[in-house]
Amino acid sequence: MWVYEKKLQYPIKIKNTNPALAKIICAQYGGPNGELGASLRYLSQRYTMPYPELKAILTDIGTEELGHLEMVGTIVYQLTRNLTPEQIQKAGFDAYFVNHTTGVYPADANGTPFSAGSLAVAGDAITDLHEDMAAEQKARTTYDNILRYCDDPDVRDAIRFLREREVVHYQRFGEGLRITTDKLDSKNFYAFNPEFDRR
Amino acid sequence: MNDQQRLLRRIRAYQFSLWELHMFLDTHPNNCEAAKKMEEYRARTEEMVKEYEDKYGPLNESTSTTSRWAWITGPWPWETGEEEEG
Repeated sequence: MWVYEKKLQYPIKIKNTNPALAKIICAQYGGPNGELGASLRYLSQRYTMPYPELKAILTDIGTEELGHLEMVGTIVYQLTRNLTPEQIQKAGFDAYFVNHTTGVYPADANGTPFSAGSLAVAGDAITDLHEDMAAEQKARTTYDNILRYCDDPDVRDAIRFLREREVVHYQRFGEGLRITTDKLDSKNFYAFNPEFDRR
Repeated sequence: MNDQQRLLRRIRAYQFSLWELHMFLDTHPNNCEAAKKMEEYRARTEEMVKEYEDKYGPLNESTSTTSRWAWITGPWPWETGEEEEG
């Protein structure tokens, strides 16, 4: 189970609204490399994972990703407060607005709703850990691309924190992969799947 | 930044360090140095939380110090403090 803490992992207070920026930051709420997909990926993969280290790291990173989902939702919310219909249209936010008003909806920057097709659970520790390491790097790239379009220091600060966490998570998953291969057949890591084959 | 905000910021920083050490220990369960550091940070965090709560009231994070009313009162984490309270 989970217990809610009434705080953000990293504080966010954005002074100036900017719906055009909100539209691209949406990508990390409900897009293919976003925080919703990250949390579902790790929290779903952990059930059949072998080895205590892997169960722990997937549970903890999956949990932290839920906190990041809240941070991204907070950024989108704060960037779209108190807008007039004219400001919304001028920023190109009207296509989003017509369906969701200023509610925060898990979709990518083009408005395509979140899809579990953007994550994988292969049930094979080596395969899934590679998926997880790639996912962290894809999220890091997305944050780097968001930073190219973002000159508001209040937003940059929070995005840079999230970007840095992707790098740390990548490191922890890499250690998880090393722990896994250390326990497998050193002549052939693929001789059996430790999540399925009984030895 | 006033004294209250400064102390809260320190508490948050320590809590974040605790989380980092917690995750590091997931993949380095035998690392005594990290485990020791985590205990030091935990003790220091508890001291600061007590100092904060004595001076400024509940931090809103544990059931023992949070009243029902404090729980439903804003601002919520995503809010800026300018929202209308119904």
